[in-house]
Amino acid sequence: MSVSTRRPIRKQEVWLRQAEDENVVYDPETGSVHILNATAVAIWVLCDGETEPLEMVDAICGLTGLPHEVVSEDVYGILDEFDRAGILGWTK
Amino acid sequence: MNDGAKLRVLLADEQSLFREAVRVVLSAEDDFDVVAEARDGIQAVAEAVRTHPDVAMLDAGLPNCDGIRATQMIVERVPHCRVIVFSGEEDERILLEAMEAGASGYLSKEAPLADLMAAARAVHRGEALVPPRMLGALLQRVIHRRRERDEALKRMTNLTRREREVLALLALGADNDLIAQRLVISPETARTHVQNVLGKLGVHSRLEAAAFVTQNGILDDLVGVER
Repeated sequence: MSVSTRRPIRKQEVWLRQAEDENVVYDPETGSVHILNATAVAIWVLCDGETEPLEMVDAICGLTGLPHEVVSEDVYGILDEFDRAGILGWTK
Repeated sequence: MNDGAKLRVLLADEQSLFREAVRVVLSAEDDFDVVAEARDGIQAVAEAVRTHPDVAMLDAGLPNCDGIRATQMIVERVPHCRVIVFSGEEDERILLEAMEAGASGYLSKEAPLADLMAAARAVHRGEALVPPRMLGALLQRVIHRRRERDEALKRMTNLTRREREVLALLALGADNDLIAQRLVISPETARTHVQNVLGKLGVHSRLEAAAFVTQNGILDDLVGVER
């Protein structure tokens, strides 16, 4: 199934802690901890079950002026990491 | 900024002590030249128009035309000038308003002065600069606005060419008589078109229709109406 037709959604029980220089996602179910950079945090915030990955890419491109292919690679890469870490679900 | 030339900066803040501190720090750098200072929004816009700086650094809370409004006016009048807005502390509302007004960057005054210099260089290179912790909220807002605009454009496709012309004139503040005059139709026909436009857009008044166009930035998408 193509990722772009689905919308990522944060697992409800997973929480994000943002400190001064550190952003941590903690999954109490598995006890796993993931340290995120600023871009990954922004993507995490956008994983609301309503926003398509392509919308994320377009918004970041519009804001930063970065090339679509570069942003696209980053966004889908981050979503893929969230997915593999088991902290993300997908809605249609 | 020309190749090899210094980055020309306009600095606007009500507090002379803050301006002085920033100016001293920037002047110590090889690549900065503070070409103008301002203590309120009106003066900031006037100085921007007069000096055409590469980067304008504006406090959000400037008196006599705040930094957000001043940003909008500077971006309109001096298109190549990139604007950085700063505020006392990180404020999501100010960030969103600043970016929507056309600012390229936002910083809090709590940030080190080195960050301000880095920000000026970054926005001049064409980058957008937002505090990382505020990026998610900003992107949410950007996406929300895009959806609203897409929805508005979708509703606009229901309008006939004539109705689009009427909507464009409504957005410019025209009444039935002026619409009739401009489109060479009777006032009664103009009124019928206006009612149809309101109905198709799902708005209840001319004012709402005009706001619909302005808020969604779709005036240029309407068919060419001589302004």
